[in-house]
Amino acid sequence: MQDDTKPQLATPLVVPRRRLRVLGTSITLVDPVRERARADLGFDIAFEKKDFPTCQRWAAMQPDSYDVYEQCFHNLDIVWFWGALQPIDIGRVPEWDNVSDLVKLGGVSKYAGRGRGDAPAKKLYVQPGGFLGPKPTRYISMLPTVHNMDSFGYDARVFGTGPDVRPSWAWLLDRRAKGRIALVDEPAIGFFDAALAAEATGEIEFADIGNMTIEEINALMALLEDRRVEGYFCGTWRDGIEAADLAEGGKVAVQSMWSPVYGKLGKARQHFVESAPSEGYRAWHGGASLSRHLRGAELDMAYEYLNWWLSGYAGAVMARQGYYISNPQRTREWLAPEEWAYWYEGAAAPRDLAGPDGAIVVKTGERRAGGPYIDRARRIVIWNTVMDEYNYAARAWERFVRRVNQGVAA
Amino acid sequence: MIRSVNPLAQEPRYELIGRVLRENILSGVLPPGFVLLEGPIAAVMQTSRVPVQSALRQLLDEGLIHRFDGRGYLVGKGGEAVVPIRRDIRELDLDIPQVVDQALQTRGTWRHVYDKVEDEVASCQIFGEFRIVETELADHLGVSRTVVRDVLARLQERGLVRKSPSSHWIAGPLTARTVSDKFQLREIMEPAALRLAGPHIRYAEVEALLGRIGTDPEITPQYLGDALLELCIAQAPNAALVEMIRSNRLLLSSVDRALILLGLPRDEDTIEQYQTLLDLITHHPIDSACEYLRYHLSITARRYLARMKIVAVIDETGSFAPYLSPQ
Repeated sequence: MQDDTKPQLATPLVVPRRRLRVLGTSITLVDPVRERARADLGFDIAFEKKDFPTCQRWAAMQPDSYDVYEQCFHNLDIVWFWGALQPIDIGRVPEWDNVSDLVKLGGVSKYAGRGRGDAPAKKLYVQPGGFLGPKPTRYISMLPTVHNMDSFGYDARVFGTGPDVRPSWAWLLDRRAKGRIALVDEPAIGFFDAALAAEATGEIEFADIGNMTIEEINALMALLEDRRVEGYFCGTWRDGIEAADLAEGGKVAVQSMWSPVYGKLGKARQHFVESAPSEGYRAWHGGASLSRHLRGAELDMAYEYLNWWLSGYAGAVMARQGYYISNPQRTREWLAPEEWAYWYEGAAAPRDLAGPDGAIVVKTGERRAGGPYIDRARRIVIWNTVMDEYNYAARAWERFVRRVNQGVAA
Repeated sequence: MIRSVNPLAQEPRYELIGRVLRENILSGVLPPGFVLLEGPIAAVMQTSRVPVQSALRQLLDEGLIHRFDGRGYLVGKGGEAVVPIRRDIRELDLDIPQVVDQALQTRGTWRHVYDKVEDEVASCQIFGEFRIVETELADHLGVSRTVVRDVLARLQERGLVRKSPSSHWIAGPLTARTVSDKFQLREIMEPAALRLAGPHIRYAEVEALLGRIGTDPEITPQYLGDALLELCIAQAPNAALVEMIRSNRLLLSSVDRALILLGLPRDEDTIEQYQTLLDLITHHPIDSACEYLRYHLSITARRYLARMKIVAVIDETGSFAPYLSPQ
């Protein structure tokens, strides 16, 4: 108890600085984004960076440990249906009208291909009964942000150069690259690179590559196992650094690739090039979601952060590593005209261009494989997907990857 | 399957439990006003709660116990004001006749072993394919291989394990297709059984259950699912159909329990759906309830398929019994 008779010194009021906790992966949890968001928003931002499977698991099972969850639409079957997230009210997202039709409709234009599997449109709107679907409602599961169309990279000395060379996913199973093929080890991603390859060689035809049957999964795994036994694969990789090492060290002639990895290459950049596959791209779409526990001021803070993502700066950081944002026009304001022209319009770079950390990732004269955004987005054939038989496929995939990396004979 | 010289060993478990409770009520060991709760009785009888529920319902029908404004039942006919006696039944010196005790024990070994293994074998299948080695299972349970073979034979009968070409016992994997097939079967069989059950549904108990939704924390979606089966669907006067429904649900409910153990949060939407369904059953033409049941099952199937996917990203350590070897 205080003695009221004594004069009291005024104690300074200590207001703890507000803090937002973001769970995500290395795709969006990058320092330039955090620093700028902190400065713009006036609250602390803590990043919890995890690998892909761990991130999904945390998101689903420990929603109290984060405020905002950043991953991909194809992760939502696991996270949303575990009851970990709350709907986002698009009435609180001023940029919503400028978010592209690729997410809202499923394609960049009415006639563009939709792509199989977990297209973000299929998981976007909260439907009656708590399901997710394409029918517009006021609430969404995830605010669409960064995305890209992935392909594979190849050694042009092996596969050739020039206008007659038509890169095909079949190259991931090509005898010219025997012993020098690597796949990304993620069952919602690398699995589809392999599936596209198997269809491109004509060895397997899937009724729906985005939702395979048990028989189709078995057929694909048997095919991969045959090739493995013959010695086609030299490894698998889980992050961009591993992928860059494989290419830089000359171990691979063809492998799954992610955009930022090309910028990290040294001398291999001369011959290891990004493909624009004749069959089309495997795409993915990231976004940010709200943890179910958020209320009041914390919820407001999370909305501020989500809206900040669509305010332009973050999109520019993403562009410099080869990723697109869902409302490109706001980001254009934050890019130099040459950057916009190279990354979004497919023009040749008139000067060297830097990546998010300032290092040069594009050399003068280079042109982005596949051309402008709109052309690339039109050619999406499959999205990263967590299909119905995901458990079965993921286990089979894991056995295959273990054998590849242990070099088991048969 | 169960061979024993004890004549009571063949009697259903709920009959044995009912017999013990009845005799102790009549002899006064369980005095009027004593609060009977499922859990503690199950502990005394070394059994699960399911046969205790049936035994209590039987005693209720016989007028030996009655419901009151609280959890459980009160001993006595009801109608007169008694002060509920809340004591742990385990503290009372219940009279359990030796022959009944033996029968419970005999069944105990078998049933107790069986129920546990059934649940473990069913729920592991979400984690893939497993092999069960007879000797390992016998060691794990501390029972003979004869008992283990009986257990495995029954599991095979119920479609939970199969023999591989090399004569190994194999369980799983549970695929999305198996789940879809099972839900499709549910959509065909359960509304049909509910229609047949119409005149035989235990309406008073359904009403009582409806009154507890929203207030009684014991009411989970699983509890309501079981109650819907026992009080309504299983009342269909077609034993073969009811048996098919039960065995078709077995794998699904075990996996459900496994997911809850992994931390699947309580699902309020599903509770609401059961509430609507039970309300339709008691107050409206049975046809509307049958249609709603079909709708409820189609939604449940979609959720179920999505929720299963989490298993691919969790650490499986400790998720299945040690006698199950992942293949």
